[in-house]
Amino acid sequence: MSASGSVGGTARREPHAPEATLGRKADYLHADSTLRSWFLTTDHKRIAILYLASITGFFVIGAVAAGVVRLALIVPNGAIMTNDTYNKAFTIHGVVMVWFFLIPSIPATFGNFLIPLMIGAKDLAFPKLNLTSWYVFMAGAFFTLVSLVLGGVDTGWTFYAPLSTAFSNTWVLPALIGVTIVGFSSILTGLNFVVTIHTMRAPGMTWFKLPIFVWAHYATSLIFLLATPVITTALILLIMERGFHIGVFDPAYGGDPVLFQHLFWFYSHPAVYIMVLPGMGVISEIVPAFAQKKLFGYRFVAYASIGLASVTFFVWGHHMFVNGQSDLASLVFSALSFAVAVPSAVKVYNWTATIHKGSLRLDTPMLYAMGYIGLFVLGGLTGLYLATLAINQHIHATYFVVAHFHYIMVGGTVLAFLGGLHFWWPKFTGRMYSEPWGRVSAMLIFIGFNVTFFPQFILGYLGMPRRYATYPVEFQLLNVLSSAGATILAAGYIFPMLYLVYSLWFGRKAPANPWNAKGLEWETGSPPPKHNFLSPPAVPRIPYDYPIQAQEAQDQHG
Amino acid sequence: MSKELADGVGVARAGHFETVAQQRAAATLGIWAWLITELLLFSALFLVALIVRIQHPEATVAAAKHLKFWIGATNTVVLICSSLTMSMAIEFSRIGWQRAMVRAMLATAALGGLFLVLKGYEYYADWDEHMMPFLGSRPFALAETPPARLFVNLYYVATILHAVHLFTGIALLLGMTWMAAKAGFLSRHQNWIEVYGLYWHFIDLVWILAFPILYVVNR
Amino acid sequence: MRNPLAALSADDRALLRRRLRTPVLTFLELLALLAVNVTLGATLPFAQVWIVELLVVAVMVALILLVSMEVIHEPPLIRLFSGIGFFWVAIMFGMTLTDYLAR
Repeated sequence: MSASGSVGGTARREPHAPEATLGRKADYLHADSTLRSWFLTTDHKRIAILYLASITGFFVIGAVAAGVVRLALIVPNGAIMTNDTYNKAFTIHGVVMVWFFLIPSIPATFGNFLIPLMIGAKDLAFPKLNLTSWYVFMAGAFFTLVSLVLGGVDTGWTFYAPLSTAFSNTWVLPALIGVTIVGFSSILTGLNFVVTIHTMRAPGMTWFKLPIFVWAHYATSLIFLLATPVITTALILLIMERGFHIGVFDPAYGGDPVLFQHLFWFYSHPAVYIMVLPGMGVISEIVPAFAQKKLFGYRFVAYASIGLASVTFFVWGHHMFVNGQSDLASLVFSALSFAVAVPSAVKVYNWTATIHKGSLRLDTPMLYAMGYIGLFVLGGLTGLYLATLAINQHIHATYFVVAHFHYIMVGGTVLAFLGGLHFWWPKFTGRMYSEPWGRVSAMLIFIGFNVTFFPQFILGYLGMPRRYATYPVEFQLLNVLSSAGATILAAGYIFPMLYLVYSLWFGRKAPANPWNAKGLEWETGSPPPKHNFLSPPAVPRIPYDYPIQAQEAQDQHG
Repeated sequence: MSKELADGVGVARAGHFETVAQQRAAATLGIWAWLITELLLFSALFLVALIVRIQHPEATVAAAKHLKFWIGATNTVVLICSSLTMSMAIEFSRIGWQRAMVRAMLATAALGGLFLVLKGYEYYADWDEHMMPFLGSRPFALAETPPARLFVNLYYVATILHAVHLFTGIALLLGMTWMAAKAGFLSRHQNWIEVYGLYWHFIDLVWILAFPILYVVNR
Repeated sequence: MRNPLAALSADDRALLRRRLRTPVLTFLELLALLAVNVTLGATLPFAQVWIVELLVVAVMVALILLVSMEVIHEPPLIRLFSGIGFFWVAIMFGMTLTDYLAR
């Protein structure tokens, strides 16, 4: 096993690597610094960094769009911008945030970087395919941004027909093409992960010794493979409808706009689990590390990941309760939507039980993790209201829905992303970030988030519809409060961008395992050498082999 | 068919794999994972066809009767033949008969090309019969039943999507054949033929589904 | 391809026969099943013939999957992957039909 607790010795000699200077090693980050070595890399760790940089850029674009939306909603009469501009703002916010930030965020950055390390492999199964997935991602982004630059799209990220096919006169086609292309990027990533996890685990690394992060990404990858092609077909049909008026979603020609919604949501509901499962994987790594305690109920959490990935395919119609689908369908989808809450709840209970009587350290990653648990629970519970047919009639397409999914996507996934970014920052970069600034930013984000989105639950309950540029004047106070919260949230986002980048040059050099965490990624240097491990890593006897083991750990053999 | 390889036939290990067996397993699992996505892609289209049939049975039947049944049937025969030549190529690759393998691969590509030629002729015949509703300049023959127009358009989307996959497949096959003809190929990359063969069989499978769904069951 | 075949040794011919037996048999079976479906489609003997036609298609798909694509010889994981797509297609079809068949 390679030396832990030190910065790592000299790396294995690469014929073309530059001479290691005193104190510097040929780790993956510093070994080669040409542009070619970055843009033609097949090293999963560098590809993860490429993704990290690009999704951060797209996050900024999506966040600015959100800022435009919140700005418009300060006044009830839509005086600040035209309705068309408003529609374009929320559309580009949704499209960019869903496909170019949330879906790739954790899998394509942390998943790419960490999965080979966590299973004890040298790389993913198909390194060149991995690089291809990033270029495909950027190609999709290019088309979407073309649409934005030309003047934007106003259909909402859901592209419902007939608005998107027959009535919208905005740049729908480039956006559709961009989203279709980016789907292939996630398919390639998912394919790579599934094959890697099945075939490239180190000797002795059985399924039930894998970190939950790996289980979560495996489950996510199954969703990538099974769901994404269906939206590809849906988008192709939309393109055909808009370009050639084939009639598939036009009742005058025997088509049905609801059919588009079936195809769209068959993917897009599982897609929200693509956006949620990896975050759960991150939390499952952070919580045991900062409680120094073995994850409670490991097998339950592992099975719950697969359970989520399966049951999620049975509930898509809960987005369609009011569109005229049959009552039978609504009943079935509603009942199954209650069922899908169970595996998520299992995970929350297990994290909580892990924290209980743990030796807690409230560093930045743990602050994000605890924020995640609270906000995810709130968001998840409100999903149950939405799944209830009678209540849904009143809150469908209101701000209640908007608040619900932002609690999960931002309160959940974004917090998990930031928590993971801080947790693994030393591993990725070899530097420690500034802990005080980390904690301040985490608090700002938590506060800003709740001030922004909690009022939206109330607004939705009171009846304010979503995607409307104007609203009754009695809702103005809550809207202004929400927009004010958004500025706090924005400040919270900006700070990490500054202090994390600062740490790259001025941060304290990180040891291999600054958090005393368990997992093979901590058994190699910070940053890791180019081929991950200087000598084959020793697989642990049990996963999460932390100092504090609960009573139930007696039967958890490897 | 047995999977045993002749002497001298095998796979050269890539750096990030520990063993050749691991590399072969990864490649096979990888292509199956890809085929899952292809199955779902086409199945979503078949679902749309089913929904159109359920909602507009008479119009669907009327439209389906105008499709070129016999060209479709002939094309199915062509693809079944190409599956045989592809299986032959795989077997030849296993026993190390490189020249025979290359010829079988070329035969497969040729049969695939024949399919595309027949399809092109079929599209021409459709155009001639005013069966291209998306072309405004040639009024659709069954204009009095709008859903029939939809079914015909779906036929085009499905067959064009299949043809794109077939065309890509032929291009990849020709590239691979060019590489496979070189000395030493079978000792380094034998499993490429098997992995590719799975893709080719799958495109055949999609057509085996598409021909009845579009041309046969709706008559 | 007459000349190359004639030039083969007896051993090689036996090898060919052994290795190509299954692909050739499968080929003939697929053609036979196709002939059934084409005949049914051309003659339309009874109203519910589409059920028979789809069953024939199912057999052809199974043949290609299990024999041509050698799933029957593959380890359990590959067999799972080869089948799971169809199961998910069934979910997509089945749940969508709860809408369209019950409207």
